[in-house]
Amino acid sequence: MPAHRIPGSPAVAPGRLVRFTFDGREYEGVEGEPLAASLLAAERPILSRSFRFHRPRGLMCSTGGCGWCECEVDGVPSVRSCRVPVREGLVARGEHAWPSVERDLLSLVGLASRWIPPTFYHHRFLRPRRLRKRYLDVLRWFGGRGRLRVGDRAPSRGRPTRRLETDVLVVGGGRAGLLAALGAVDAGARVVLLEAEREVGGGWRVETGTDRGPGTAAELAAGASAAGVEILAGVAAIGWYDGMVAAIGDDRHLEIRAGAVVAATGSYDRVPLVPGADRPGVIAARTVTALIERYGILPGRQALLVGAGQELTTAGERLARAGASTVVGPVPTASLVSIRGGRRVSGAVTRHDRKRERHAVDLVVCADRSPNLDLVLAAGATVERRGDTLMPVSDASGHTSIPSLFVAGSAAGRPILGAGEADISREAGRAAAVHATGRIGQAEVAGPRQPSPAAAASTSERARPGTSGNGHVRPMRDVARGAMVCFCEDVRAWEIGAEQGAGYEDPELIKRRTGALTGPCQGKYCLQSFACLVGAGAIPTARPPLRPVRLGDLVASDPEGRA
Amino acid sequence: MARSRAGRLLETGALPRTAEVVIVGAGVAGLAFARELAARGVRHVVIVEREYPGSGATGRNVARIRAMQLTEDLTHVARACQAKYDRMAEELGFNVLFYRLGYAWVLYDADEVERMRSIVEMHHRIGVASRLLSPDETLRRLPILRGGEPVAGAVLNDDAIVHHDAVVWAHLEHLARTSVRVVPNTAVHGIVRDEHGVAGIDTDRGRIATRAVLNATDGWSTELNAMAGVTAPNRPHRREVLVTAPLRLSIEAAVTFYRPTEGWFNQTLRGEVVMGVVDPNEPAGVEQRSSWAFLRRTATLMTQKAPALADVAVIRQWGGMYDISPDHLPLVGPTRQLDGWWQANGWSGRGMLLAPYLAELLAERFVTGTTPERLAAFDPDRFAPDEASETSGDYYARYARRSD
Repeated sequence: MPAHRIPGSPAVAPGRLVRFTFDGREYEGVEGEPLAASLLAAERPILSRSFRFHRPRGLMCSTGGCGWCECEVDGVPSVRSCRVPVREGLVARGEHAWPSVERDLLSLVGLASRWIPPTFYHHRFLRPRRLRKRYLDVLRWFGGRGRLRVGDRAPSRGRPTRRLETDVLVVGGGRAGLLAALGAVDAGARVVLLEAEREVGGGWRVETGTDRGPGTAAELAAGASAAGVEILAGVAAIGWYDGMVAAIGDDRHLEIRAGAVVAATGSYDRVPLVPGADRPGVIAARTVTALIERYGILPGRQALLVGAGQELTTAGERLARAGASTVVGPVPTASLVSIRGGRRVSGAVTRHDRKRERHAVDLVVCADRSPNLDLVLAAGATVERRGDTLMPVSDASGHTSIPSLFVAGSAAGRPILGAGEADISREAGRAAAVHATGRIGQAEVAGPRQPSPAAAASTSERARPGTSGNGHVRPMRDVARGAMVCFCEDVRAWEIGAEQGAGYEDPELIKRRTGALTGPCQGKYCLQSFACLVGAGAIPTARPPLRPVRLGDLVASDPEGRA
Repeated sequence: MARSRAGRLLETGALPRTAEVVIVGAGVAGLAFARELAARGVRHVVIVEREYPGSGATGRNVARIRAMQLTEDLTHVARACQAKYDRMAEELGFNVLFYRLGYAWVLYDADEVERMRSIVEMHHRIGVASRLLSPDETLRRLPILRGGEPVAGAVLNDDAIVHHDAVVWAHLEHLARTSVRVVPNTAVHGIVRDEHGVAGIDTDRGRIATRAVLNATDGWSTELNAMAGVTAPNRPHRREVLVTAPLRLSIEAAVTFYRPTEGWFNQTLRGEVVMGVVDPNEPAGVEQRSSWAFLRRTATLMTQKAPALADVAVIRQWGGMYDISPDHLPLVGPTRQLDGWWQANGWSGRGMLLAPYLAELLAERFVTGTTPERLAAFDPDRFAPDEASETSGDYYARYARRSD
């Protein structure tokens, strides 16, 4: 019994039990908790199957980013079930599996995965021509994921457009974004802040219900509101279009033009680059803490903690307190060799010095993060590789190589751990305000603004999106051949190496040949590994939108209206 | 698989000093021409590419290979082009995933149906088995349109899609077995001329002496022509595309409609839906960035035509160039303006379809010195000096006006 509800947990008590179905079977959940969590508690950890090899996938990031939890919900295809509040009568189904995601016979193709490179199709069934069509019919039949409801449907209602001009736009309402907004307001700027979630606060402390004591995100938000920041929650930034930031809320589209933009978009989980790291049971630390603290669900009995940092420590403590029998670690990410198991995690292998150690665990908790570069890359700002992580190039106040773009907090590679980082985020807001208004507080800035050091000439370790690395290959250390680089397309490290060996060295060609970076996660969960594996300059062109958007949400009541 | 029988897929070493032919642009046109030259025994062919092979319109393509066209001349050529794709897998030893998905022009107005009646007759005359469907048949064949704007009918034909990138790889791997060298990441800065015509090209990596240059840069052809002192009326216009997360087979054929503005969608073999609605006022100029207006325009019109598409998740959008000529037909052949200057551009959005076959005719022209009959219509010097390409780029509207 790997995952279960924690007896007597206060998180379970206040909720109403509701019944829903998944793949035709009925389950109980607590109203309002994420569907993916209900299914985990009901011992149905497999939520989806990967595109190529039908590998089992489950709840991992819980932020709606990784896409491992996509299933059909009430007839809508490929919904990220970690963001769906469970309710009475909800009908969910697994996708891209037969007969079910739990036992998917199509996963047998994975047994031959070694002989099926991504370009397999191009070298099969060349003759006879008659069979070629049949072969492609079969391929087409096995392709695809979600099922589209086709039938008589009413056309979508168009949303009106709000056009907004402001001095400073802060994207992201976590701690860093709120602090940057406060910094900008203090410097006399008009400030708008976008938060994709319903409530500001962001960050793992809030998500996991561990944001307590003075200086909470809620207090920061109240302060920002009081200071005059226009906070737009439930509004997701969709793209950077030549400096204009487009965003979508429930009932409108927004086109925001700002003198300066602060990207405070946080970070993405970095799944360890080892074989087996995509199995159900590999879960981000913040998800683990949230499951225990907010939903009263213990995601595993024997856990291995991988990585470092406060998030991981907190997850470990909560696991131990909630009744996990074993909590091993933390062990450094570099010491992890592989994650074992079949349809769930059943073990992990680590290496210390030359000693390999096998741990019998059903949960691997990982806590590495890398900056969310979505907006930074969309704007075309320069990034650089530090260690095995791409970071935006920015000066002390978060100024990037794009004159009107600043970064703050985790998105800048400066997560807010204490007062020092908090001051830096405030400073990013203040600098953005100065850039936008040309004033410091009420005083005019004397003389022209100094160019940002970040705008200085780039080094070989720096790159802008769409600039290809001209065969400059500097591989990452010690990556196992079978390590999964891109999860959406099941691209393993050796497949990238094989393309390079065959002469397809340009990152754009590797992307196209393997499909890496092109899946439904939009490269959010593979760009870092891909870039480090392929070489410093390996950042294919960034392409909007910043997050997947349903076509119906893009329908405008005034589509031809131009600002 | 990735194992290439290639000597070398891409030339990353020293730039060749001389060449019999330099092709500028490693898109489908340049690659196909190189292939045809090599097949005819021409040695020392060098393709110079500013970025990577397929980085222009070829790699931004949705590669619909349609035999049925609005005019008889073009339908004749398009049939030959489609047949060329159908043979490509065998000829190049590489499955480019040519797939007869089916293709429908969906009609919304009675006058469109009337016009299409005569076009379908023309198709039948020359052996294209298109069919005019009633509104009911249209919805049966394309249930995705149910609940949308009432249709007046459709013209359906057994037309195809290919994998655009696979076409590039197939050519690259084939060329690696020939003497053709493909040089990526090399930009042309100038054209060297002397009293005999073209004498060479200057690149950021040095000069290549040559007496023949093919301008296969499509959207960038104006720029390159200018370096050679050659004028042509084709102008670049952006076209945009969006793609969704993969879905199970839900759209039976590739769809194009022209009313109220041109739009199109289809599912790839992987199940992604690609779609776009054209902006009739798209200004001329090289611009490959994506726009927010495109997303909204496309979503708004598509969900009126096919309401079920509201549920698809857009995961990526991009822009690419159409190089549009005044008559929306490409410029393929030598120009009389400059000896040794060859055009294969102005594809007007049909490069993927037309290039491999017309490259064959062009190579024939290059080797024999006589123009194959089918190539004559694409003479680069056919335009009047003041003829300009229509900025709207809406071929159907032009066709409709012309036939009224």
